[in-house]
Amino acid sequence: MKAVVVGAGFAGSLIAKVLGDNGFRVTVLEAGTETGHDEAVHRFRTALVKSPLAPYRTTVAAPSSDYLINTGPFAYSSPYLRMNGGTGTVWTGITPRMHPEDFRTADLGRGRNWPISYDDLEPYYRAAEWEIGVAADADEQRQHVPVADGYAYPMHALPRTYLDHAVASVVDGQRIDGRELLITGTPQARNGVPVSGYRPDGHLCAGYASCVPVCPENAKYTPRRTQKRWSPHIELRTRCVVNRLHADEFGRVTKVSYQRYEDDTTGRHTRHEVEADVVVLAAHAIENAKLLLMSGLANSSDQVGRNLMDHPALLTWALMPQPIGPFRGPGSTTSIDAFRAGPERATRAPFRIELGNWGWGWSAGSPDSDTAEFVAAGLRGYALRKAVADRVGRQFTLQFEIEQEADPANRVTLSEDRDALGNPRPSIHYGLSDYVKDGLLAAKRVSDQLFELLKADDYTSYKPDEERYFEHNGEPLRYWGAGHSGGTHVMGASKHDSVVDQWQRCWDHPNLYAVGCGSMPSLGTSNPSLTMAALALRTADHLVSHRAEEVRCTMSKAP
Amino acid sequence: MDAFVELSAELTGFSAEELRSTGLVEQYAELAQDATDAELIQLWYTGVWRGQIPSARAYAEGLAWKAVGVAPPGTGAPGFGSWEHRPRRSV
Repeated sequence: MKAVVVGAGFAGSLIAKVLGDNGFRVTVLEAGTETGHDEAVHRFRTALVKSPLAPYRTTVAAPSSDYLINTGPFAYSSPYLRMNGGTGTVWTGITPRMHPEDFRTADLGRGRNWPISYDDLEPYYRAAEWEIGVAADADEQRQHVPVADGYAYPMHALPRTYLDHAVASVVDGQRIDGRELLITGTPQARNGVPVSGYRPDGHLCAGYASCVPVCPENAKYTPRRTQKRWSPHIELRTRCVVNRLHADEFGRVTKVSYQRYEDDTTGRHTRHEVEADVVVLAAHAIENAKLLLMSGLANSSDQVGRNLMDHPALLTWALMPQPIGPFRGPGSTTSIDAFRAGPERATRAPFRIELGNWGWGWSAGSPDSDTAEFVAAGLRGYALRKAVADRVGRQFTLQFEIEQEADPANRVTLSEDRDALGNPRPSIHYGLSDYVKDGLLAAKRVSDQLFELLKADDYTSYKPDEERYFEHNGEPLRYWGAGHSGGTHVMGASKHDSVVDQWQRCWDHPNLYAVGCGSMPSLGTSNPSLTMAALALRTADHLVSHRAEEVRCTMSKAP
Repeated sequence: MDAFVELSAELTGFSAEELRSTGLVEQYAELAQDATDAELIQLWYTGVWRGQIPSARAYAEGLAWKAVGVAPPGTGAPGFGSWEHRPRRSV
C-alpha cells in the first residue's frame, strides 16, 4: 500500500508513523522547510517581537498564516506555521482531554454533536498521552474527566508554580456563581519524572519559560520526536506544496500534484505528481480546506471550509499582593475547570481558566512595557529598578479559553488573490456570535470575582484603539487568538451535512482522509492538540485494519 | 568608558560592577554614543536599541529581568521544579 500524507505536523507525523510501522510505503509531502533547533533558539532571542512564528524560517513559496485575508466582521488572528513539524513545533504543550459533554454540544449548548463519544475516544487519549509523553496525575484528572481505572500517565504531574500554590491557598473551596472552585493540575506534554515503563525522550523540563515558541532543551514534545521514530518505509519531502488531488470517476483519489521549490526567497518551482492508494490530508484546518476547495473534492455537503472555530481567549491581568516569581517554568501548570460544563452552556459559551505564569508577557508586553511606563514617568536609578521589580514580580494573567460553536458562516474560501506559486490565498470570514460574546462577558465577571478573592490589583483594560476590541452589552471586551483552528472539514454522522465520517474519511472519497482539528465538530474548552492526536491514532488504526479491504477495492477497480 | 559606565549606573540603578558583568559595556558605549537617557535605559533594561536587539546577549542580560530576579525566557534554566519555590528577593 502506498500512502501519501500531506503535511508533516502533529497529525501527519503520527499517522505516518503507524502506517510505516505496519508496512505501508509512505511519502510525506511538507510545504515548508526546516529550521535547525539552535537557529530557532537564536532567532527567538534576537527577535524584537517574540511572536509565536518569529523563530522559524518561512518561505515565499509556502507562506504561513500571515497570508490569510480577513473579510469578516472580526479578525481571525490565530497563527499557524508551514514548516516541518508544523504548528506543533510552536505549541504550548498543554494537553487536557475534552470534557465528555463537549462531544454533545448540539444537545447541551450550541453547535454540533460528534458522531463518537468520549468513551469511544478514551483508549486513544491514553495511546496519545503515551506517544506524546504527557505528565499528569490520573486521580487529579478524574476530578473533572473520566480516566480509565488503573491508568497511569507516562509521567508524574509536573510541580505546580509558586503562583498556583498562592492562588489555591485562597481560592480552593470558595464558590463563584454556585460553582466550587478548585485549582487543578493541567496535563503537560513536557518531560517530568517518568512512571515505570516509560522512557522520556529528551531532558527534564528545566524551566526556560519559552515553551511557546521554542523549548531550548527539547523538553516539550514536538512532531520531530515522532519523526525520529519513523520506520525506513517513510520518506519525507520538504518544500513540496501540494496544490491538487485528482480523483477518478468512482471518487477514488489516484494521485497528488505538488509544486517543488528550492529557493526559499522566490516562487520559482517545478511541478510533480505522485500516485497513491490512500491520501491523508494533514496540512492544518485552513490548509486542508483550501486544498479540498482547490481540488473541487469532498464537498457534496457544502461544508468544506465552513464551521471555522478557534478559542477566542480572554486575558485578564493583575498583581498579586505578594511577589510570586513569574517567568519561571511552564506558562501554565494549573487551571480552574468548574466552568467547562454544566447547564449554563445552554445559554452562553463555557470556558476553561488557565493560571498564567508568565506575568503580563502576552497580555501587556511585560517587562518592556512596564520599563517604558516607569521611564516615561521619570523614574531613574534605584527607584526605577525597584519599581520594575515590584511590578513584574507580582504579575499574573488569567487566560480564559472560550468555546466557539461550529457556525457555517465562519468559513474559509478561496481568494481571488494568488500567492507566489499562483495558488489562491485563503480568505477568512470570521465572527463571534452572541453565545460566544456572552461567554466572554461571563468569563470577565468570573475574573473580577477571582481578583477580589485574591485581593489582587486588577490592571485589565481593553481600549477601543486596540486590535480585536469590541463592546458587548455596553461593556468593553477584547479577544485573543489561541491558535486552535478547527472545524473546516467537519466530522459527522451523515454525508449530507458533514465532510468526513468518524474515521476522518471523506464521505465522497473512500481513500481520502482529512485529519486534524479541522475534523472536530466542537472544540469544547480544551487545547485541541491532544484530541487531534487521539483522533489521528484512531484513524491510523482504522487504516491499518482496513488495508486488506482497500487492496481488494483497488484491484476490483483495475482495468 | 568609565564615564559611560557611571552614567549607566546612575540611570539604571545597577552598580558599575553589575553592568560590567554583562559583558556589554563596550558594545553599548559604541552603539549609544548619541542616546538619550530614556534610550540608554531601554537598551540596558530590555536589550532593544532603536527597534532592534543587537545581539542574543543583549536580550539575555536585560536588566528588567535582573531587577525581577529571573532569566529572560529561553536563556536560563533554573532547574526542574524550581518554579515551585518562593521567589528570591531581588531588590
